[in-house]
Amino acid sequence: MSRFYLRVVCMLGCLLLTPLAQAFDLNDLSRQLGKHLVVRGPFVQEKHLRAMARPLTSRGLFVLAADTGLLWQLKTPIAQDYRINADGIAKRTANGWQVQPGNNAAAQQSRLFLALLRGDRTGLEADFTLQLEGTSDEWTLTLTPRALLLQQIFSHIEIQGATLVQRIELFETQGDRTLLKLPDSQASDALTAAERDAFAD
Amino acid sequence: MQTERTLPRLFGIGLLALLCLAAWQWRSGPPVAASLLALLPSNQIDGEIRAAEQRIQEPLNRELLLLVGHRERREAIQLTQAIAGQLRKSQHFSAVQWSVRNDLSDLRQQLLAQRLALLPAAEKSLLINQPDEFVQRRSGELFDTFAGFSLVPLEQDWLGLTAKAQTTLNPHSNVQVDLGSGALLINDNAKTWVLVRAQSHGDAFDMQAPAKVAADVAKAREQAQAAGGQLLASGGVLYANAGQAQATQEISLLGGAAIVGLIALLLFAYRRTRVLLSLLPVAVALLAGTSACVLWFGQINALTLILGASLIGVAIDYPQHYLSKCWAQQQWQSWSAMRATLPGLTLSLATNLLGYVALAFTPFQALTQIAVFSAAGLIGAYLCAICLLPACFKGMQLQPGRSLLNLANGLLAARLWCIKKARWPMIIGVPLFCLGGIAQLHTQNDLRQWLGKEPELAAQAQRIAELTGQQPTSQFYLVRAADEQQLLARQAALSERLDALVSNNQLRGYRSLNQLILPDEQLDNLHKALQALPQHWQPLLDAGIAEAALNAEVEGLLHQPRPSLDEILEQTLAEPWRPLWMGKSASGVSGLVSLDGQTATALLEDAATGLEGVELVDRLGELNALFTETQISAATLKLISCAAIVVLLCIPFGLRGALRVVSLPLLAAITALACLGWLGQPLTLFSVFGLLLITAIGIDYAILMRESVGGEAVSLIGTLLSALTSWLSFGLLLFSSTPAIANFGLTVSLGLLFSFIYSPWATPGQPSAPSQSADINQARTQHAAS
Repeated sequence: MSRFYLRVVCMLGCLLLTPLAQAFDLNDLSRQLGKHLVVRGPFVQEKHLRAMARPLTSRGLFVLAADTGLLWQLKTPIAQDYRINADGIAKRTANGWQVQPGNNAAAQQSRLFLALLRGDRTGLEADFTLQLEGTSDEWTLTLTPRALLLQQIFSHIEIQGATLVQRIELFETQGDRTLLKLPDSQASDALTAAERDAFAD
Repeated sequence: MQTERTLPRLFGIGLLALLCLAAWQWRSGPPVAASLLALLPSNQIDGEIRAAEQRIQEPLNRELLLLVGHRERREAIQLTQAIAGQLRKSQHFSAVQWSVRNDLSDLRQQLLAQRLALLPAAEKSLLINQPDEFVQRRSGELFDTFAGFSLVPLEQDWLGLTAKAQTTLNPHSNVQVDLGSGALLINDNAKTWVLVRAQSHGDAFDMQAPAKVAADVAKAREQAQAAGGQLLASGGVLYANAGQAQATQEISLLGGAAIVGLIALLLFAYRRTRVLLSLLPVAVALLAGTSACVLWFGQINALTLILGASLIGVAIDYPQHYLSKCWAQQQWQSWSAMRATLPGLTLSLATNLLGYVALAFTPFQALTQIAVFSAAGLIGAYLCAICLLPACFKGMQLQPGRSLLNLANGLLAARLWCIKKARWPMIIGVPLFCLGGIAQLHTQNDLRQWLGKEPELAAQAQRIAELTGQQPTSQFYLVRAADEQQLLARQAALSERLDALVSNNQLRGYRSLNQLILPDEQLDNLHKALQALPQHWQPLLDAGIAEAALNAEVEGLLHQPRPSLDEILEQTLAEPWRPLWMGKSASGVSGLVSLDGQTATALLEDAATGLEGVELVDRLGELNALFTETQISAATLKLISCAAIVVLLCIPFGLRGALRVVSLPLLAAITALACLGWLGQPLTLFSVFGLLLITAIGIDYAILMRESVGGEAVSLIGTLLSALTSWLSFGLLLFSSTPAIANFGLTVSLGLLFSFIYSPWATPGQPSAPSQSADINQARTQHAAS
């Protein structure tokens, strides 16, 4: 149902991505990404469409907390805050956080994502074949969908990074692609008070 | 004598024929229907509504909904895959589905083609009334990470209509598609559930189906539990199985207890094992009743069998008429005793028949079936009692114990004492008791009484409804119109009102044909809005989308081909709507609007008022109302049949005697009714039926006492034995776990008690001193002289 959801989940899931094995293997990568309690930074999302000369670009900030969830704050060209945690996906409105009805795969995919955060990679491995290349300083992880339904949406997903994830690119079967850049992520040990509040209510 | 040889032979031939008929009827399994709802009246509504009801009801009856839950999502899916495979292998299902189709391109095409029609009402109105806002929001969605997701690529759907159309296709927000496996998933806090839908084979005559399906479900549950998961199941077929199993169990348990009790009673009373042959009329009655029902209705309902089994009590009474005369005769002889009591026996049969046949004229097939069953059964038992049994008992020496005679004499003496000492207290007390009891009566007519308590099934169904957010109901709208366009317009008008109910959370959801195809007027409005849309493009142009592309999309939408309803319904996407289109008939076309979730009938009725061609069909509500009506009509019919019985009884007893004989069971019925009131038991259709039955049986006792063949005390023994045998069979229904049947059993038990107590008043003139014994021939001449 939701291309974008899956896309986002996969991207974000990959932020802390999870173990598999090789010289620099998936276990190493998982450990490398999983040791940070909190990761925050700016993001740039570019939708490259076949029909458009320039990409649709949006920017914002994200905060990923290993034990609570994700804050996704879209700043330009529109402002909208999202929160993904065990309750599903919520949108910030004038009346506070509002859990989105799951009439799409949103809630499900956000749960999948949180499962990833907790090191439960079974969901991802069930749906994708994972392939890791490179070293701990410069690596690329490629996800190829196994399931027929997914294959009709993504041809593959590519994640690149060093200490932290820097770039996630989703290649759609129909030719469009979405690039998510995380150019300046910082790892940290604790949430700020404001972030804690956002997760709390 | 000649007749003593020919009668048994003739009866033997008849019985043989009946056995052949029964064997042929049962050639392919028992022709027993389990659905109690099948007995509901069907002849009062027009054909179109009935056809519509079948459309709505059929999936409810056939569909089995399973939820397979596990803490681990992956485990849940694997478990489901295994269970679905097992179910498919069992061959008991025509379809087992747990994942959505794999071909997205087909769905994309259909979504694109139908995107205007499928647009939710709120979006349509935004597009028409606030185009600026519509475009502004769309532009926001393009940049939003978490909004505006769609199966269709952006350049085919710049306006984002397909993403919104998707929500119409799947309005049940709790169920999500797992993109990996295609499974339909529901998450609650602890578990992931996978939804499985299975259609059991629709063969209504296959009585084994519910049991097989239930066994499959039980096996699947074990499988789930073994893997650390859980399985919930719900479906009409499971209820049918539970009802069937319960009916079978109750018939064997209560019927068995009744038979054991009867045998003990007969042995105690007559001290001859050969007397047990007087159970033969019972067998003949059940055989004749069942065969007649199958012949008449094509099958017999389980409820008829349970209630009809109580016919044992009446059937066994017939031989008692002459067997009990052994207390009066030194040399009891079967044929002469039978001949002496034949007039009374025949009167009993005639009055019983009149009593039962009255039931046949109520609109309830349940009562009609019972009437047919009982009438045929009684005739069979009567014939057996007069043709076959005397031959069986020929030469049997009956020397019954005197204890029963002493008891009867004691009872009669006690009655005399009461009449002498407490005449006025009784004359005042009984009416007061009756009035007091009847004043406390409350009626209760609810279809739920028909169903036994199945708390386990009900709890699962409730949990499934909570988890899926789906709760199909039997309420729906039937919309009729002259042609397709008018039908769509009428459904659209109804949809507007239903949308209001949905947005007020008074209705969970609905499905209507105008969600798939727009009526002309709405389409024109949307087209006008689309034509004006280019004035509002700016936000989308700012985002970098080419104006030509946007204009091309509008052009495309304006010139989309307009398929007919039939063409659209053929598409896979339209599958859930297919049953809603009733097609063309002589009077025009019709379609249904199905509802989701329990909603107050009054609100639904309000939504239909003033809309031409729209009719709310609420079977349950109508039925509950009909129950009450039937009570009244059944009581009226009973009074008419009483009048007929009075006329019949005038022949032997004269008007005064006939009135006396008929009024006693009526009085017994009234007293039983009063007892229900005092006990706080409700008056239901079934208690009314029980009361009707009491008047039929009570007349038996009154006739027995009135005829007084062999003296009052001897006749009282006959009445006592009859009452006890009847109670053994009817009264035991008290212990049924189906509320309706237990209520019936209680009413009949009470009625039998009072019929017995009142029966001596049927004896003409002043009560005489109880006679020790009287010669039967003398009694006959007395009767002939009076």
